[in-house]
Amino acid sequence: MTYLQARGVVRSYGPTPALRGVNLDIAEGEVVAVTGPSGGGKSTLLHCLAGILRPDAGEVRWRGERIDTWSEAARSRLRRSTFGVLFQFGQLVAELTAAENVALPLLLAGTGRREARTAALTWLERLGVADLADNRPGEMSGGQQQRCATARALVTEPRVLFADEPTGALDTLTGEQVLTSLVRLAREQGTSVVLVTHEPRIAGYADREVVLRDGVVDHGGLGLETPLAGGRR
Amino acid sequence: MNSERVSVPHVLLGLLAAGPRHGYELKRAHDERLPQARPLAYGQVYASLGRLQRDGLVVAAGQEREGGPDRTAYALTDEGRAALNRWLAETELPMPYVSSTLFAKVAVALLVDDVDRTRSYLAAQRQAHTARLRELTAAKTALSASLDDVVAADYAIAHLDADLRWLQTTLDRVADWHREVHS
Amino acid sequence: MRPSTLLRLAVAGTATDTVRVVLTAVSAALATLAGLAALTVLAIPTPPAVEEGDVRWSEQYASQLLVEPGLRGGTAFASLLLIIPVLALAGQCARLGAPARDRRLAALRLAGATPGQVIRLAAGETGLAALLGTAAGTAIYFGVREVFDTPDERGRLVLPTDVLPASGAFAAVLFGLPVVAALATALILRGVTVSPLGVVRGRQRERGPRPWAGVLIGLGLAAFAAIGPVNRWYATRDTRPPEWLTPALLMAGGLAALVGVVLGTGWISYVTGRLLRRWARRPAVLLAAARLTADPWAGSRTFAALLAAVLFGAGAAGLRSYFEAAAELERRGGGGLAGNGGFYLSTMDLVDLAVAVAMVVASGGLVVALVEGITARRRAYAALVATGVPRATVGRSIAWQALAPAVPAVALALTVGMLLARGLFGTPSSGGYRSEVCDAGEQLCTDPATREQYTRVEVEPLISVTPDVPLGHLAWLGTGAVAAVLVTVAVGLLFLRAGTAVEELRAT
Repeated sequence: MTYLQARGVVRSYGPTPALRGVNLDIAEGEVVAVTGPSGGGKSTLLHCLAGILRPDAGEVRWRGERIDTWSEAARSRLRRSTFGVLFQFGQLVAELTAAENVALPLLLAGTGRREARTAALTWLERLGVADLADNRPGEMSGGQQQRCATARALVTEPRVLFADEPTGALDTLTGEQVLTSLVRLAREQGTSVVLVTHEPRIAGYADREVVLRDGVVDHGGLGLETPLAGGRR
Repeated sequence: MNSERVSVPHVLLGLLAAGPRHGYELKRAHDERLPQARPLAYGQVYASLGRLQRDGLVVAAGQEREGGPDRTAYALTDEGRAALNRWLAETELPMPYVSSTLFAKVAVALLVDDVDRTRSYLAAQRQAHTARLRELTAAKTALSASLDDVVAADYAIAHLDADLRWLQTTLDRVADWHREVHS
Repeated sequence: MRPSTLLRLAVAGTATDTVRVVLTAVSAALATLAGLAALTVLAIPTPPAVEEGDVRWSEQYASQLLVEPGLRGGTAFASLLLIIPVLALAGQCARLGAPARDRRLAALRLAGATPGQVIRLAAGETGLAALLGTAAGTAIYFGVREVFDTPDERGRLVLPTDVLPASGAFAAVLFGLPVVAALATALILRGVTVSPLGVVRGRQRERGPRPWAGVLIGLGLAAFAAIGPVNRWYATRDTRPPEWLTPALLMAGGLAALVGVVLGTGWISYVTGRLLRRWARRPAVLLAAARLTADPWAGSRTFAALLAAVLFGAGAAGLRSYFEAAAELERRGGGGLAGNGGFYLSTMDLVDLAVAVAMVVASGGLVVALVEGITARRRAYAALVATGVPRATVGRSIAWQALAPAVPAVALALTVGMLLARGLFGTPSSGGYRSEVCDAGEQLCTDPATREQYTRVEVEPLISVTPDVPLGHLAWLGTGAVAAVLVTVAVGLLFLRAGTAVEELRAT
């Protein structure tokens, strides 16, 4: 079943176009890598799919329903209940402990604090950082922070997980450990993953790769907008 | 990818360091410890052992016959251990020659002066590399994977990753060059 | 989101957030004290007249301002006016640690908090802090009441400690202020709905401020100037203006002028920045100019309370010169009521005291805002120092950045305050009217037949005394304000030393 659908998505920052009409389908349980050169629109596409940014034109559908027309609050609730997001760094709230950070989506949705904490501890355990439950992000290494962030992204058992260069700030081994647990846990739950990365090694975790170049999907990864048009010189 | 020839005799010396083994056991151990390497042929094992015995690096440590062919066990000599240590202590020359088929094909394709063909070759190769990378990643992250599997897969993945980066950069360069020529 | 969750997330914060909460509470406490003082004065009962024409004074107090019912309104109004700089201070405190808070709120948004939830959190924090403050203010109020509740040797009280405001009014201050503070926070945050990517992507660049603030100032001046003519217009039709009209014009006009001056400072900062950018050659000045054009509203935020105090003080100076002119007029006209003018002048001393208090409160706000500005940009400053810019240059640029807009802004506030007072009170004059004088005896004058020939029209000469522009007084105010800025810059530079340690670059 198709989970997410992007049709002709256009988005600019001021006069600078980031996406110039992107079409993309993501199926249930599918792990899709979005790759391509810097400035190709990878992160912007992820933000549009996750409902963080509203596209200037085009449609984004979740299970067939348009979400780009939803209000900010409705998209926030969808993100909280159904999506999980994981960035390179900086998404944890510096003033809250690891357990509180992981429990945050549940707390915001109205779950009681004790129940939310129990769920948070379970997920910290799964990511192997249960002993850091009462530390604040400032007291953890980058890898530990990223594990907490992963636990938070998964605590609501989301249907889609959006990860934007999740290992970008980590060394190879730590990054691999984080990513391995992320993909494994996502696959166990049948969660789709949209994985933005510029590293082929990271893209290797996906079932499928989508190359974005100059704001459009580059089919076949040929490095040209229009593939193979009259190339002889 | 790994066009470099691996010194089979030295690998066998290493496998014997744990204790005497038969030729058949050595082949199995080799395939287990180096899971992604090209599997050894029996003939190759016995030929290498013969040479090592001739040079005094291994000795036959006994024979047993249990309703099958002759099974000669081999053991490491002191000289053999010294040779093994020397080999392990030697650093490998970092990429003395760029001599991969992949590189040669791209260089030749550019020489033949057909940009489209170069690009479609690069794109096809990129897809093949990516597919293999995915396969290896899946094998490595499987719950049943042993440390040997992971280390071997890591080695291959790191090389595929490097190749893929090179392929991507070259694709971009060809595209830039193409734009430059046709604008 | 459950209330317990809201509480936990509202009080999650760093040391800066704690300082903000404390300062918000202090402002709320000051506002509570001012409000309760005004309410207490208004609660003094007017004793019933024993006989016709009896003076209904409350003789139990030492101060004439409390004794005379006619003066009590003014006394209450003066203490209420003190709330204005206090509110401005509270507004500045709200900015303290705002970048860190914005980052926190953005992170919460990323975790799936709706814009409404984020606004509720920030409003909850302010509301709780204000509630603490009003509670503390009430406690202080009762403490002061206890201390001063002893009559002097003549059996009179210094303060009206024998009356209490109505319990409803009490509750309104105690709970109303926090609600208003929370609502104000919600209103301010509505404009800048925190985006989940608040940290990741910067906001779009906005255009420089336009001189629209001038329109607000004009409206304020017009409202004040209209009060006299409007009342005269009603008088010519032998009716009285509606009760609410004059206070409404005063409040609206005063507020418009104040907001105009504060917003105008943004425009002044921007223009000063552009001028400095064009003409300046020294790096310190260029740095200051760049900051002024990049964030012109910083000046508005920093100087809001100070400008409110200066405006208020200039208005008071204008009023004083009106009273002086009125006293002069009485002397010339031989009215002999110079004592009355002197009395008004003595109450003006009380107003000047209020202005001084307001200036001190505003200087507190200034320190808060300036130190906040420095700590918020300490990474940028530390980076400058690390790349070899001398610390002294950074210090000079901060001084330029504060003083360049402050001097014209203070001048603007002085002018507007002065014009407000002049517009409201105008020029005191007497005479200028005709009167019929009958020179004969009563019988002849009352008889319509004979009255005509004995009556002559006498023209009273128009005497008016133009109030002086109290240049000396205004100069004192202006110098005081600029001196306050200088002192706070010096204090801020002390923080700069700690802030520009290169170690700051490590902190995330």
